[in-house]
Amino acid sequence: MRNVIVTGGSRGIGLGICRKLAAEGYRVIAIARTQNGQLAEAMREAEDRNPGSFQFVSFDLSAIDSIPDLVQTLHKGHGAIYGLVNNAGISFHGILSQMPTAQIEQLVRVNTTSPIVLTKYVVRTMMAGGGGRIVNIASIIASTGYSGLSVYGATKSSLTGFTRSLAREVGRMGITVNSVAPGFIDTDLTQSVQGEHRQKIEHRSALRRLAEIDDVANAVEFLLSERAKNITGTVLTVDAGNTA
Amino acid sequence: MTATIRSEIEAQFIQVAQEQGNRLAPLTDDLALLDSGLDSLCFAIIVARLEGLLGVDPFTLSDDVLFPVTFGDFVRLYENATK
Ligand SMILES: NC(=O)c1ccc[n+]([C@@H]2O[C@H](COP(=O)([O-])OP(=O)(O)OC[C@H]3O[C@@H](n4cnc5c(N)ncnc54)[C@H](OP(=O)(O)O)[C@@H]3O)[C@@H](O)[C@H]2O)c1
Repeated sequence: MRNVIVTGGSRGIGLGICRKLAAEGYRVIAIARTQNGQLAEAMREAEDRNPGSFQFVSFDLSAIDSIPDLVQTLHKGHGAIYGLVNNAGISFHGILSQMPTAQIEQLVRVNTTSPIVLTKYVVRTMMAGGGGRIVNIASIIASTGYSGLSVYGATKSSLTGFTRSLAREVGRMGITVNSVAPGFIDTDLTQSVQGEHRQKIEHRSALRRLAEIDDVANAVEFLLSERAKNITGTVLTVDAGNTA
Repeated sequence: MTATIRSEIEAQFIQVAQEQGNRLAPLTDDLALLDSGLDSLCFAIIVARLEGLLGVDPFTLSDDVLFPVTFGDFVRLYENATK
């Protein structure tokens, strides 16, 4: 089984990605701080279908200094790492002029520094192995504006910039690096956006509906697959045409 | 032990040069790595593979290790790190 690490794989989009990848025959290693019922159920399902296909590792990704040890442990425990999906992310909605600096730092730490450092250590094992796949979960907010999300937007566009240059750097070794940019998706992260506001987003989309967790999971699965072997350094937007 | 580390390193230089299509200069102790025919990406691959093979990466053991100048320096760095 090919090993794929999915950060933030315990809930929301990340859990959807893990479900999909486990069903497609990968061994997924989900990383998040805490377990929950939904995750346990998905792991049980995957275990019934394909033993060993869904693992969970509890880790706080804001502990940047412990990331090298984490990667070493995963590598030792599971062998070569084929794929890395940098999905874990947080969002604070707030006017920049009122946002506590500690909150700004936390956003940049979890959404930008942590995935970059994690990628640094995982890419080393991929280099030694001669290939691999990296997918960064960005957002349409990386390329469009949204009042109250300036810092979040900065972290998400940092990932698309990271994607492009890293793709150039590691392409010669058979490693692809891409981003997926979801539009509004129903998860815990977007729980506060309800009612009229949500309808507005739906209405603004070309398809008059919202993209779903499964759509993002399918995009990630495609980018990890053989079919995407000649795609690197790009952004795949999954937003039901919201930014079309 | 020392001899095996050197031969392990030599083997990696040769293999990575071949994989990346670079022409490798003869590996003598005073060969400057800049003139070895390998580029920074090749060195990154070599360091990653040696970590797997020898269990050490002298460059992450300490933040202030400078990249060695000659092939001989490179070998000594690994010999010292595995002592
Ligand atoms: N939902 C959307 O509309 C939307 C749109 C565009 C992009 N995105 C992006 O998609 C990704 C997933 O979003 P989501 O909506 O699925 O979010 P979510 O439902 O809030 O899930 C976030 C996941 O990240 C984990 N996580 C958060 N902080 C962590 C930390 N410090 N260490 C380890 N794990 C951590 C969470 O687990 P624990 O809390 O247990 O640690 C959880 O598994 C994010 O990068 C987000 O920016 C989402």
